[in-house]
Amino acid sequence: MKNKLIMAIALVMALVAGWTTTTTTAQAATDDSLAKVQKKGTLVMGTSPDYPPYEFQATVHGKSQVVGMDVAVGKKIAKDMGVKLVVKSMSFDSLLVALQTGKVDMVISGMNPTPARRKNVDFTHTYYQGGYSIVINKNDKGIYKDKNSFVGKTIGAQTGSTMYNESKKQTTGTTVKGMTSVSDLILGLQSHKLQGVAMEKPSAQAYVANNKELAMIPSKFDLSASDTSASVAFAKGSTALVTAANKSVDQIRKQNLVNKDYLPAAGKYLKTNTVNTSMLHYWKAFLKGIEYTLIITVCSVFFGFILGVLLSLARMAKGGVFATALRWLATAYVEFIRGTPMMVQVMFVYFGLGLIVNLPALTSGIIAISLNSGAYIAEYIRGGINSVDKGQTEAARSLGMTSGYTLRYVVLPQAIKNIWPSLGNEFITLIKDSSIVSIIGVSELIFQSNIVRSDTYRGVAPIAVIMVLYFIMTFTASRILNHFERKMQHD
Amino acid sequence: MTKPIIEVKDLAKNFGDNQVLKNISEQVNPGQVIVVIGPSGGGKSTFLRCLNLLETPTSGEVDFDGQDLTTLDTKKVNTLREQMGMVFQNFNLFPNMTVLENIKLAPMKVKGVSDADATKRAHELLQQVNLDDHADAFPTSLSGGQAQRVAIARALAMDPKVMLFDEPTSALDPEMVGEVLNVMQDLAQQGMTMVVVTHEMGFAKSVADRVWFMADGYIQENNTPEEFFSNPQTERAQDFLSKILM
Ligand SMILES: Nc1ncnc2c1ncn2[C@@H]1O[C@H](COP(=O)(O)OP(=O)(O)OP(=O)(O)O)[C@@H](O)[C@H]1O
Ligand SMILES: [Mg+2]
Repeated sequence: MKNKLIMAIALVMALVAGWTTTTTTAQAATDDSLAKVQKKGTLVMGTSPDYPPYEFQATVHGKSQVVGMDVAVGKKIAKDMGVKLVVKSMSFDSLLVALQTGKVDMVISGMNPTPARRKNVDFTHTYYQGGYSIVINKNDKGIYKDKNSFVGKTIGAQTGSTMYNESKKQTTGTTVKGMTSVSDLILGLQSHKLQGVAMEKPSAQAYVANNKELAMIPSKFDLSASDTSASVAFAKGSTALVTAANKSVDQIRKQNLVNKDYLPAAGKYLKTNTVNTSMLHYWKAFLKGIEYTLIITVCSVFFGFILGVLLSLARMAKGGVFATALRWLATAYVEFIRGTPMMVQVMFVYFGLGLIVNLPALTSGIIAISLNSGAYIAEYIRGGINSVDKGQTEAARSLGMTSGYTLRYVVLPQAIKNIWPSLGNEFITLIKDSSIVSIIGVSELIFQSNIVRSDTYRGVAPIAVIMVLYFIMTFTASRILNHFERKMQHD
Repeated sequence: MTKPIIEVKDLAKNFGDNQVLKNISEQVNPGQVIVVIGPSGGGKSTFLRCLNLLETPTSGEVDFDGQDLTTLDTKKVNTLREQMGMVFQNFNLFPNMTVLENIKLAPMKVKGVSDADATKRAHELLQQVNLDDHADAFPTSLSGGQAQRVAIARALAMDPKVMLFDEPTSALDPEMVGEVLNVMQDLAQQGMTMVVVTHEMGFAKSVADRVWFMADGYIQENNTPEEFFSNPQTERAQDFLSKILM
């Protein structure tokens, strides 16, 4: 599902950016991508940190950060270019779009250089040659031997990954279920929704080593070398960057750095990580999530309200051609926003607007949700204003008051009483729905809980924690809003 | 001859295909009390609302104090509306404000009168309508008769030259009609120019200078109350009177 949405967006983006692409291809000979990176002094790496030991979140000196062998690869590439590495987290699905829209300079996320992907981005040489395994519950060890043992059963794989496509192609009578994050897949396995999870061998090893209830079996997928290799992706046409990165990658291969240094180092994080998996230990992560969720909600309701007032006034504009055009535009906007999913809007603002201005994920999220919320709030306000008796306006106008004063002193104060409950509902809905921005990597509560989950290998506990946290937030908010509502009804 | 304060020339109003007012030409002189009567749906409210441009006339002129309102821009219309108070059948008091605030709002916001002056004037007007003890009440706690008297005070607070009344007693319980009519009668005696749409024939007989009988979008008859009630000229008026006086 999600994958299709992203493809649709990528398509729109590709159309929008059509001219950009053609100009870059034309300029391939004089490619300045490396010079640009060296000028700004940072190399931004996009990755989906839920795939140990490739990349995952770990608490280092009390701070949560992305570690793993891919990060080590990224560090080496950056160092060899003489710049600093910046790691940006997002869902695996969003990575290539982020690369194409310039949100990141490169993607290292255990990614296979498939022909389909090669059409859209450029890859370096292979820095790691992996293989696939299937993780199963230890109790089932006798039952499943390889990919062919799952007839009539369900296996899972990360959405958009090579494993997912190959699992579909190379099994018969087996249901293949895609999920965005590997921690969700493992949870699915442990709750017996899935009988096996296909993933790369090093990841499988990491999971099995850290969870005594899991075991792994060989996948026996028929794959070419390129299907099991991992490469670094760069934007199409950035030849200079690819050439520079290839030097580092070749060194990594020649000196066997991944197996010698990077994997053992990643393993160490995995070990320290499993020492203390109590939810209390992660209170800081959850607190950060709450903080961001509230920031997003409060800002979005605030800007959404301002937008909503303007939109509702525009929708009620009366008079000449200008007013008609305004009314038509506002109506079209409201209909359009209400007729498209908020998730698509969030991605469109982040990636689409990103073609013009480079906005941070949090800002993009707030903009997108404000734009969305504004459309709904406009309707609440319009409804509230329309519910005020027409006689009120006539009385005010007959006293010589202008339409502006009438609105401000007579209609709006009465409308607010009708609008307030809907506005309160919108606020509470946004506390919950703001979780959508987790897909562009804003560290709100859901995003944070995913980190804690992949950090601790505990599937359910973080979900239970955020469920309670969400409830506390919404319940408190609704109490506070009710208090004001009652106060308002008094006078 | 005195100059008319309101002069209507060839006034017409359509709602879509529905011709509600068809060519009305009448005038109101300063200090006159005009009572407009006629069958329901005859266009009385529409006519009244065309006088202060709550309804925009389809064609014709509404001259107020020698100025044609239909040619003025919105800003001028607003200032001219101040000079024509209007009282509605359903009072239309602002429910979120006290009686005092209802009266003070327009003078303060529109005319820029100071809070102290507006408060003083509001109390005077409330005394005039016998409601000064209800200054701090909210409209919902008032009876219909009290609410309508507050509405009259509110309109008077702008010191209008003309007062328009659209069936001010039609929504009231019978025992409260008198208190409102008394206030209106006092007002007439003080020399206020008034255009009153009403079904109160007693009020028309004793207070009106002229009675306009309106039906089917025309002023069918313009007469003194004595003549109108004892000797109506048109068949339409005879018919109407025979029905309501039975
Ligand atoms: N805003 C409007 N839009 C469309 N038609 C209207 C509008 N206002 C009034 N009308 C129509 O105009 C005609 C005259 O209405 P108006 O209210 O002026 O009559 P009236 O003499 O005041 O009647 P009543 O005694 O019932 O108050 C009616 O047929 C009514 O349906
Ligand atoms: Mg009427």
